[in-house]
Amino acid sequence: MALPNPAVNKVPTGYKYGWHDPEMKSLHVMKKGLSREVVEEISRIKGEPQWMTDLRLKAFRHFEARPMPTWGGDMSQIDFQDIFYYVTATDKAVQSWDDVPDYIRRTYDRLGIPEAEKKYLAGVGGQYDSEVVYHNIRADLEKQGVIFLGTDEALVKYPEIFREYFGTVIPANDNKLAALNTAVWSGGSFIYVPKGVHVELPLQAYFRINTENMGQFERTLIIADEGSSVHYVEGCTAPAYTTASLHSAVVEIIVKKGARVRYTTIQNWSHNVYNLVTKRAVAYEDAVMEWVDGNLGSRLTMKYPSIYLLGERAHGEVLSIAFAGSDQHQDAGGKVIHAAPNTTSLITSKSISQGTGRTSYRGLIKVYPGCHGSKSTVRCDALILSDDARSDTYPYMEIDEEDVTIGHEATVSKVGSEQLFYLMSRGMNEAEASAMIVNGFIEPIVKELPMEYAVEMNRLIQLQMEGAVG
Amino acid sequence: MPVQAPAALDAATVEHVSLGEPAWLRAQRADWWRRVEANPWPTLAQEEWRRTSLDALPRDGGLLLDPPLATYELDPLLAARGVIFSDLGTAVREHPELVRSHLGHNDTLAAQMPFWGRSLAAWTGGTFLYVPAGVAVDGPLVARTVLPAGAYSYLPHTLVVVEQDASVTLLEEISSPDGDAVWFGGTGDLQVGYGARLRYANLQRLGDGVWRIGAQRVEVGQDANVTTLNAEIGSAISKVGMDVRMTGKGGTSRLLGLLAAGNAQRIDFNSCQDLLGSHTTSDLLYLSALYDESHAAFYGVTRVRPEAKGTSSYQECRNLLLSPKAGAEPIPVLEIETNDILRCGHGATAGAIDPVQRFYAQSRGLSAGAAERMIVRGFFERVVAQIDSEPIKARVLDALAPRIGQTDEVAA
Amino acid sequence: MTTGFAAGVRASQVAPGSVVTVVVAGRPLCVGQTLDGRWGAIEDICTHDGGDLGDGELDGDAVECPRHGGRFDLFTGRVLALPPVVPVMAYPVHLDGDEIVVDLS
Repeated sequence: MALPNPAVNKVPTGYKYGWHDPEMKSLHVMKKGLSREVVEEISRIKGEPQWMTDLRLKAFRHFEARPMPTWGGDMSQIDFQDIFYYVTATDKAVQSWDDVPDYIRRTYDRLGIPEAEKKYLAGVGGQYDSEVVYHNIRADLEKQGVIFLGTDEALVKYPEIFREYFGTVIPANDNKLAALNTAVWSGGSFIYVPKGVHVELPLQAYFRINTENMGQFERTLIIADEGSSVHYVEGCTAPAYTTASLHSAVVEIIVKKGARVRYTTIQNWSHNVYNLVTKRAVAYEDAVMEWVDGNLGSRLTMKYPSIYLLGERAHGEVLSIAFAGSDQHQDAGGKVIHAAPNTTSLITSKSISQGTGRTSYRGLIKVYPGCHGSKSTVRCDALILSDDARSDTYPYMEIDEEDVTIGHEATVSKVGSEQLFYLMSRGMNEAEASAMIVNGFIEPIVKELPMEYAVEMNRLIQLQMEGAVG
Repeated sequence: MPVQAPAALDAATVEHVSLGEPAWLRAQRADWWRRVEANPWPTLAQEEWRRTSLDALPRDGGLLLDPPLATYELDPLLAARGVIFSDLGTAVREHPELVRSHLGHNDTLAAQMPFWGRSLAAWTGGTFLYVPAGVAVDGPLVARTVLPAGAYSYLPHTLVVVEQDASVTLLEEISSPDGDAVWFGGTGDLQVGYGARLRYANLQRLGDGVWRIGAQRVEVGQDANVTTLNAEIGSAISKVGMDVRMTGKGGTSRLLGLLAAGNAQRIDFNSCQDLLGSHTTSDLLYLSALYDESHAAFYGVTRVRPEAKGTSSYQECRNLLLSPKAGAEPIPVLEIETNDILRCGHGATAGAIDPVQRFYAQSRGLSAGAAERMIVRGFFERVVAQIDSEPIKARVLDALAPRIGQTDEVAA
Repeated sequence: MTTGFAAGVRASQVAPGSVVTVVVAGRPLCVGQTLDGRWGAIEDICTHDGGDLGDGELDGDAVECPRHGGRFDLFTGRVLALPPVVPVMAYPVHLDGDEIVVDLS
């Protein structure tokens, strides 16, 4: 079957990243589809140790055996055999911007990486078609012993620490998509922060899906050793294609005693991408883990960042924004498992649905017996902007300990006509006024984002609102 | 010894029960039984049933054929105006056309249908209350049933029809002795017409061996106003499904619950507040106090349909855990399909008594037990204060007395 | 005093590198031997979802729960991979000929 002509594809109006690079050459393009041979080939190309190859094959076995989940969004259109599972654009990672091939540099230019690099970044693991092609670790971080590599490289360079943690937070058979990722993972970031080291500047990575029918299966592993702290930021865009793209990533984070990790994501996939991600962290004694999750794009997102509070006084937070425009479904939320006394958690979710979009909050607070003194607050607010939009809330609570304080509150509302009238009487048009109200609605979470993302977020909301009104 | 059918619930029992009944009722029962056979049990795939297993449901007890009838006291003046208040069997005999036009025509939530159907096929007791248009009944009507000892099944069906602009308050109270394994499958069908008003309270004080599997269906007509109260004090397992349909424009419903569970009791409520009509309001407030090793699950769905404009709804479930092994699973779900809403929200909490509150009470000279009772009484106050009828409030507080003390309990 | 109980399954029936579910003195246990012939036993009930661990695989010293991939150490009962967070009891095992004996003290 001939691939459809991308130029003829319907690109949603206002999608400013709706371009793809015609010069792109995918060098190691494998055939479509998934099989044992594909899994073995991926491992062979990467030159992996036998234990990883064995683990991939076991995970593939689990993937084939497990049925698809029957809850959440509509995944009936995903054809696992209609996807490329491994493509690389260059063969090795590079250290300096000048070494990056031209067409990749142009892509990253358009995403604004060089300025950001100058201003903010300590290092960048850039992902292009599954391979880390560019990263740059600042001298002072290297001196502090911070490891920030592509996951593929980390497997080879730091095998003991890799093997100690890989698959302990999200095992291969946790769910069908995690099994898929464990079988075919490629790329992603590996970060290790030694004891007591505080990484002041946010570490970032950009990546995008490019080839027709490209799947993205990056695997990220972050270990913050005792008393350390780090903030990792990922934001990604993808060009528009009409055939379904699949993004099925896995992120595992270990926050040791007294350490602190924040993981921020702004996801803005084009409207044909299935974004099905498993993200989970464990936090030990006195540790703090924060997920900041912005879901703006994709056709269907299913993502529930989780935190297992395993040590006393550990604290976990999930701050989540979801925006669903027409024909989009954001099924997101957060899960916190209290497995130690005096642990605390906070989940704040703000969702907006517009056009025929649908947002669903799905969350879990579980408190095991013996976790006395634990407290959790969940606050979900939803804004429905149009008559045809929809909002659901599915908050689960399993409370098996008496000496706790657990609370959940949710509201669903629309933009008040008085509010709108007031702003319009100050000279704004309806789109601008709506955008301002929506931005006010999400402000408590946006103020937690790095400035560049906050700006990008506000611009994206504005774009969405322009399509919404009239 | 109670009179029981020779076997447990089956087609033969249904036939046996309808001996001597009018043909229309025989046919209706048979029809419902056929539907039950086509779909006999709920499955774990249904979210409403994931937390309660029916494996140990006592199914062998024969159907209770001669249930003790409640006393149905009705002021003759009201009877003269057309109010009917009796057991359902008597109503079928004395007002066949009226009962026929209202009985057994409605479905309920899919998850509840196996039990709704069984009750409509095999009811042998239950209340019929009919209030004609424009009649206002002051003071509560009370139907109190004390079930006998024995291991049996009993699935009464209560049918309440409140016509246009009428109003009435009804308390149904049921109790049974401890010890025996009983399957109590009481169901209720409450139909409230245009501009009518219903206050309905169900006080459950069943014995500690009883499996209470119930279903309540409420239909709220245009501008009608309904308050229901479920007070759950007894039973071993209590699984109730509430189906509240706001079909008429401008209707209002308040759904109140008071649950006090101890020992190894398990309470599992599921509800659906379905806002179909515009400008309807539906608020739910369920409060549980959980002692010993008891466990309460609550799965409530608020659904606002696309065509329902300007609705208001709030769903609230609060759980007070009073012992280390008590547990709660409140799951309030919202499915909102329009943005034209006035307000919509939910809240759920679970936790222990605030130690500061407890300390304060005890430092005023109350014993630990008295302090706890007082605090639980305060916790329940938000629902108790909404019980309009003083006699009903008194009955409910009396049933709760072991947990919250007597209302005149003096600080020690 | 006997604290050792026969597992009811012969050692020769359990392949190296695998585990099985057995009931010993009323307790469901997950019993097996590693590829290099060491025998261990843990409680059979996964602390995450309550299902049988004996239905799972043995990977090195780790019993892997078949439903969500959680792992427990066959010799200490310690959790090695989420989603379970609560460890299981572990019991010493020795062989008496072809008989598997579990010490439940």
